[in-house]
Amino acid sequence: MTDRTLTAIPRPHPSSATVLAVSGELDHHTAPELTEAIRETSFSPETPVVIDLSDLSYCDSTGITVLVSAYKRAQQHDARLILVGLNPDLTRVFHIVGLNQIFTFRTTVDEAIDALSAAES
Amino acid sequence: MTVAERPFHRDAEPAATAEERRLAAVRRYQLLDTPPDGTFDRIASLAARILGAPMATVSIVDGDRVWFKAAHGLPGVEQTGREPGLCATAALQDEPYVVTDARADPRAAGHPFVHGDPGVRFYAAAPITTADGHGLGTVNVLDTRPRRRPTDDQLQALRDLAALVMDELEARLSALRAVAAERRRRADAERLARTLQRTLLPPALPSVPGLQAAAAYHTASSDEVGGDFYDLFPLDDGRWAFFLGDVCGKGADAAALTSLTRYTLRAAAIYDPDPRAALTNLDAVLKGEHQGNAPRFCTAVFGVLDAAADGSFGIALAGGGHPPALALRADGSVEAIATTGGQLIGLLPAPHFVETTTRLAPGDALLLYTDGLTEARTAAGDMLGEDGLARYLADRAADATRGADGLLATVHELFDDLSSGISDDTALLALSVPTASVPRPAKETR
Repeated sequence: MTDRTLTAIPRPHPSSATVLAVSGELDHHTAPELTEAIRETSFSPETPVVIDLSDLSYCDSTGITVLVSAYKRAQQHDARLILVGLNPDLTRVFHIVGLNQIFTFRTTVDEAIDALSAAES
Repeated sequence: MTVAERPFHRDAEPAATAEERRLAAVRRYQLLDTPPDGTFDRIASLAARILGAPMATVSIVDGDRVWFKAAHGLPGVEQTGREPGLCATAALQDEPYVVTDARADPRAAGHPFVHGDPGVRFYAAAPITTADGHGLGTVNVLDTRPRRRPTDDQLQALRDLAALVMDELEARLSALRAVAAERRRRADAERLARTLQRTLLPPALPSVPGLQAAAAYHTASSDEVGGDFYDLFPLDDGRWAFFLGDVCGKGADAAALTSLTRYTLRAAAIYDPDPRAALTNLDAVLKGEHQGNAPRFCTAVFGVLDAAADGSFGIALAGGGHPPALALRADGSVEAIATTGGQLIGLLPAPHFVETTTRLAPGDALLLYTDGLTEARTAAGDMLGEDGLARYLADRAADATRGADGLLATVHELFDDLSSGISDDTALLALSVPTASVPRPAKETR
């Protein structure tokens, strides 16, 4: 048996954004963790969501499904969503499958927050 | 046969086979030599407490030994010989078996537990008996002092504890069987999925006039079925269409999705062979299949081949979420035929598919592949990537341009180099245009 683990911890940010820090391996076995965390995160025009993937070491097609579900929720609630810290392999995969067109990416959480506040002002 | 012969057989033969059947029953419960566990330890200590005895065991009578699943008050004792007088005898009784003073009891006096350590004088046991009447062992108590016969209540409690052991053994056996059955079912399902998947790939590619085509499916793991697919087939108007892709997921679900995808693309091509329209139709069908939280999606390239008078083939190619195809030109160069920007099929609300065109001239070849190949890790631990694949092919351009078969042989060598770094199934489809078109053979005269 594989012993893959994933944690998804929401951290309210002073800027009113919710930062969801994801670390570990995101696959068929661990996807429910993140699905649940996204379901519990409030998406609204006032509370943008930043998903921090800096510590994500692996993501398979099920993982991509979960991130797309976050995108769909954000669209539905007119909330802004930024993915942070995609590693080069994952960046490459997102490019091939065309998801780079629907997501906004930033390198760090601070950059993401700056981008969100810049858009507001 | 005479009636008189039968009793003779009945006496001689079953004596041996009854013990064999009993031993088969002992083995069936798979308890011998398992580590101690709480349930049986508690049963032994409960027996000791109810009978007020310092020692108690849950014993199983094996062919040549008595093995203790639990031993209360007998530290370090795991088993003893199968000498008669105590457990070996008690296990075969229908009723509780009691020895009030072992030294004075001819049935038990010769047992090593009696004349040696721990110096047993008193012994009371209830047999652990299967529903079909086989005595497996006992729940028993022991003392180093002679004692009075236990009360009927105490003996009844001992019988209840032995029955409890039997219930526990049955429950564990049915759990073992359920697990084994589940494992068999899973193996069957996996085998079925693999068979199904093989049937999802064309057994042989059709022969397209003026074109050489070759395909291969590389399996990464024998126990998980991937969902890669390809096909090459004629359109109504004399052109040919092909596709190759990869569905999300593994196992039986992926095989079912692969089947749906392949037939949808074939049907879509008849309805409208425009490559982008074929992917759009597939997207709509996959979304119709979407159930709850498990979206079904895939990546694919779909192309249409149009033969030109000069022997070349025009290719219109649309892609959704799929890595670039590679064209190997007659001059040895490798060119990516990318549909970058084309998105996953079946997952997004309004996906965008990208179409591109190229031409295969005589001496050119086209390689389509799924990402099992480009996501494979090289010996250095890096992903091979499209660039790595293109470089590999460019370095071996002389081999790679020997038609579709030569191209697949080259990719096959790459597979051998990468074998340990491949973690996903890979489908390959190669198309090539022969250099000198072979002159049509004259009509056979013989």
